[in-house]
Amino acid sequence: MIFAELTISETAIIGLFVATIQFATLLFLAGLGETISERAGVLNLGVEGMMAIGAVFGFIGAVESGSPWIGLLVGMIAGGLIALLHATAAVALGADQVVSGLALTMLGLGLADFIGDDYTSDPRRALFAEVDIPGLSDIRFIGDVLFSASPVTYLAIVFGIAAWFVLNRTSIGLGLRAVGQSASTADAAGHSVVGMRMGAVVVGGALAGMSGAYLSTFVVGAWSVGVTAGRGWIAVALVIFGAWRPGRVAAGALLFGFTLALQSRLQPFGVSFSPILVSMLPYLLTVAVLIVISIRARNQPSPSPAGLGIAYRREER
Amino acid sequence: MKRLVLARREHPTRGGQPVAFLFGLVFALIGGALLLTISGDPVFDTYERMWDRSFGSFDTISATFNRAVPLALVGLAVSIAATMGLWNIGAEGQILFGATAATFVGRLFPDLPGPILIIAMLLAAALGGALWAFGPGLARAEIGVSEIITTLMLNEVALRLIIYLQTTKWKDPDGFGFPQITARPEQAKLGAIWERAHLGVLIALAVIAAFAWFMNRSVWGYELKIAGSSPKTATYAGISMRRKVIGVMALSGAVAGFAGGIELSGSAVRLSENISNGFGFAGIIVAALALMRPSGVAVVALAFSALQVGGLSIQTLGVSSAVSTILQALILFGAIGAAVLSTYQIRLIERKVTA
Repeated sequence: MIFAELTISETAIIGLFVATIQFATLLFLAGLGETISERAGVLNLGVEGMMAIGAVFGFIGAVESGSPWIGLLVGMIAGGLIALLHATAAVALGADQVVSGLALTMLGLGLADFIGDDYTSDPRRALFAEVDIPGLSDIRFIGDVLFSASPVTYLAIVFGIAAWFVLNRTSIGLGLRAVGQSASTADAAGHSVVGMRMGAVVVGGALAGMSGAYLSTFVVGAWSVGVTAGRGWIAVALVIFGAWRPGRVAAGALLFGFTLALQSRLQPFGVSFSPILVSMLPYLLTVAVLIVISIRARNQPSPSPAGLGIAYRREER
Repeated sequence: MKRLVLARREHPTRGGQPVAFLFGLVFALIGGALLLTISGDPVFDTYERMWDRSFGSFDTISATFNRAVPLALVGLAVSIAATMGLWNIGAEGQILFGATAATFVGRLFPDLPGPILIIAMLLAAALGGALWAFGPGLARAEIGVSEIITTLMLNEVALRLIIYLQTTKWKDPDGFGFPQITARPEQAKLGAIWERAHLGVLIALAVIAAFAWFMNRSVWGYELKIAGSSPKTATYAGISMRRKVIGVMALSGAVAGFAGGIELSGSAVRLSENISNGFGFAGIIVAALALMRPSGVAVVALAFSALQVGGLSIQTLGVSSAVSTILQALILFGAIGAAVLSTYQIRLIERKVTA
């Protein structure tokens, strides 16, 4: 009997960590996109909307073509295209980034609802299958959690490393960071501020769209209104929590992913703590981190890009 | 080699923001028509139904007035914060926490006579909203924490607080096990003034008028204007920026929380996580379109309310009510384009070739 109980709890623990990896992947992709956009100096509060657009187009692309890969690609393209609206309004036309981003969230949620109307109870499925890494996936516990994930998780890791490399080790990344720190200086140094910023916003949108498509082709596996469930806002929080650095954003994604996974899986552990209170944690932690960053900023430079949220018009330099 | 640039006009095109708003509206209606056409929905019937169910009769106009109340109050709340260059993105959470505070008072004194209970609940709502925005104001004033993110985060916390209360302490014993909060006292309902319109419409108009007067005629309002436009001048004049930031955020939160109280007593029967209904975000767009001016806020809020009320009515035509959300967002993008084009012009210039 004791053995039986142990088996149940091990399944529950594995389930908890498998879900953690899934949610972490979801949050990391959107958070990485927002990191790139904010490093270029553009705050995009449209993540929730871009994610919803990615989710609906990802689902449609997957079930219509029969391939989740097509769905993922369609979701990325759709996310990038709708982000172009924020890029045009907030970067090219210099409108306020906060307002434009919030309008993008509204538009994305509305459009996704409208376009997905006929797909809400669609029984068709074209889902990603878990990929076992040969040899490693057989390791007890760790194999199930780390080496038997969806291909999107592995892709997210590759994207994360690539983003870190481009941001920190290439001239494009240096230019991008310069544009985010001081647009006028970067402009004087010959970087195209508008081009860089628009590009960063569109890449950010594509990653948010990818995150949404992953949601509808794997994590939830279907499209319904409200499927993003506020996770786009967690991604915005994640960027701050991760101090605008891909590596720390990944670590934050694991932590926030764990709290998301915990919400639906507290019962098997016999915990009587309300799951809804656990779900407040990512937001409260982010506020706490912001406060710590601000207090430390008195003695050392803030990790926040100096030009974040400031529109740039050359003739007003 | 030629390229497109934005060049500032010598004289901005006349008309300004009202024209930009109308341009945005037309832009949105055209965009919406395109979408409806692509999806095979009837464009004319949809728009006609939306108009008919929002401005078509006294009955529908009064319903449109009701829904404009939270939009206008949030718009005002956002404008108040904007006087100091601050962004209150947390109206959604302040509405929720304000309504939670009002519910708390309603549960504490369920037998008070209606008018007294309503006043107590509305005051509690304003206080709750102020409290929810006080933290971000304090953090901004004392250590420079971005109020954009803190107010945004607290939205999600307030939402989850209500869901928690729904399933635990405040769960309706007569709800057949369904997770809902006990209905607010029956007598705490705002009375009707005209057709379906409730007293909240007049209260909201009074609040907006009071704020407009306050900004233009009071010492505090005058100091706010100085502090908002030139922090250095304000500091030399002995105005405490710290206290202004905290005060303005709390006041902004109070107005948004007040909107939550009005919703609870005016349109809702009980507190739920849906009581904020996206008003907190739509109200930001309203404020932006009104260029943060109280009179403009009232007008734009009425237009957005009509779109929302009308949007709910097109489902019977088989058209998704999401059209309404799309139109509201498109108005803003259209207006952004128009506002930029009124101060700038797109010119094709010769790019200098440097060797």
